[in-house]
Amino acid sequence: MIKLENVTKVYLGNTVAVKDVNLEISKGEFVFLVGASGSGKSTLIRLIMREEPPTNGDLWIAGKHASELPSWKVPYLRRSIGTVFQDFKLLPTKTVYENVAFAMEVTAKHRSVIRNQVPQVLKLVGLSDKADRLPRQLSGGEQQRVAIARAFVNRPLILLADEPTGNLDPATSVGIMRILDRINRTGTTVVMATHDHAIVDAMQRRVVELDRGRVSRDESRGIYETRRPEVVPEAVPVEATEESAPGDDVGEELAALVDEATEETLSDAIDHNRETDTVLETTSDDAESSNEEAASK
Amino acid sequence: MTSLVYMFKEAFNNLGRNALVVLGAILAVFISLTLTFGTLVFGEVVRVNTLQWAEDVRVIAFLQDDMTAEATAELQNTVADWPQVADVSYVSKQGAFDEALILFSNNEAMLRVLEENPDLLPASLRVQPVDPEDYDRIVIQLESTPGVDRVESAGDAIDAMIALRDGLQLMFWLLAVALGVAAVALIANTIHMAIYARREEIEIMRLVGASNWFVRTPFLIEGALEGLIGGALAVTFIVIAQQLAVDRLSQLPDWINLAIQNDFILRQGALVLLFGVAAGLVGSSLSLAVHRTLRS
Repeated sequence: MIKLENVTKVYLGNTVAVKDVNLEISKGEFVFLVGASGSGKSTLIRLIMREEPPTNGDLWIAGKHASELPSWKVPYLRRSIGTVFQDFKLLPTKTVYENVAFAMEVTAKHRSVIRNQVPQVLKLVGLSDKADRLPRQLSGGEQQRVAIARAFVNRPLILLADEPTGNLDPATSVGIMRILDRINRTGTTVVMATHDHAIVDAMQRRVVELDRGRVSRDESRGIYETRRPEVVPEAVPVEATEESAPGDDVGEELAALVDEATEETLSDAIDHNRETDTVLETTSDDAESSNEEAASK
Repeated sequence: MTSLVYMFKEAFNNLGRNALVVLGAILAVFISLTLTFGTLVFGEVVRVNTLQWAEDVRVIAFLQDDMTAEATAELQNTVADWPQVADVSYVSKQGAFDEALILFSNNEAMLRVLEENPDLLPASLRVQPVDPEDYDRIVIQLESTPGVDRVESAGDAIDAMIALRDGLQLMFWLLAVALGVAAVALIANTIHMAIYARREEIEIMRLVGASNWFVRTPFLIEGALEGLIGGALAVTFIVIAQQLAVDRLSQLPDWINLAIQNDFILRQGALVLLFGVAAGLVGSSLSLAVHRTLRS
């Protein structure tokens, strides 16, 4: 699904952001990109979404030789990639529904398809009842869920998330991770750059660590830091927030995600969940109930 | 089809969002194209009017009194054979006398002189040039022709008229070109601001895979609409102004004719509208080419 061969990115002034990266991510994988600030995570995300071409090396995305792709073809590549950012990037004058529908309108989807798909995706992220709200009327977590809905509404093969929980408290982050996990179970490849130890440690998915632009570690079921394996799983360093009711245990929520992942192996999930609509039906009920839980807290 | 509707909707929304800047751009197009179209119409009026003059122009060669009828006929044939001469007519002494009686019908003293001296006025050849501007060559040729006493022409007036037309047209064209460039720049600026105002939306459009044309076309439509509206205002303004001039300036001398054929208005008006649209497209294309937000 994603393949980088000796990819290097050098910016003006000879700043090397990514150096000789070799990486292969298969269809349906969930990969965490970790590393210190400036290690090249965001550059790697931008390269994969072809926001900019690599200086050297080859890049294949969704079966296309992305590093050789002429710029006029990039939009068509982007239609197979969904993107979620730390700052949500929602349009403030459009409602939740319109923000999500926008991603379909501008790729010239038919109105009837839009009318059919948008409510389904809003249900998946648990925002069916807030479709008419403006972004400023939503909490940070809800805004990020709108951004995820927008990224997923065109059913991309790949979902890139650059610090999607960076602006959110731990409890809200759990909700976001639940949705990303569900999307991953539909067969969508998820690549997420993050600094969030708790999430990476709890989910125990593939971890690719970058250090000064190079891949320093690539583990199939990794944690945030190699040198401190003892933090997993009991010692998830998450504190209850003001939003969390007394006794509410974020660590437990994250651990539940791990359980879900182990209950149903990734390959099984891809096999029977690729028919997305079926998945949406079943998972959206969960999302609705988790949303209600969050509201009641 | 859905895309086309979306693009036009966006273009109209943009026009509404930056109403003041859009108004400025439309006015610039309007002024520029009013001058352009005005120049065309003025040129046509002058052309029609100088044509009338030109058709009436006569180089007059007064003949010596001792010319025989045969010599006069031979001279008339010789002059008629000159390539730059369209027509030659002979006015006898009697004909000149009759003409003078009409010309000076209000001048008693002159009429008395004419009646006392019926042979006073000479016979003449009246020459119509093929090209009005060639009159001076005919004058020189006639002056050196035996039997011709002296030569007069109305060419100086024609020269002055043509010079005035050319001077005014040059000035109007220069102004129109300068304002045309300003209009293109203003449209480019309007589009630049529209892109800036929508930069977040464009960023998201690019993120989710909107094609370059899908992002750019609404701005091209916006520029073209600004040019079209400015052009339409210019054509309307000039047509109304010309009609008013025809109606109000009825006391002008008969030889000045301000009316213009409808064909001319339709043909040149359509050209002006096309030019407005083209100016709008050039302006918006310039802006699309340089705006950072739209660079891939």
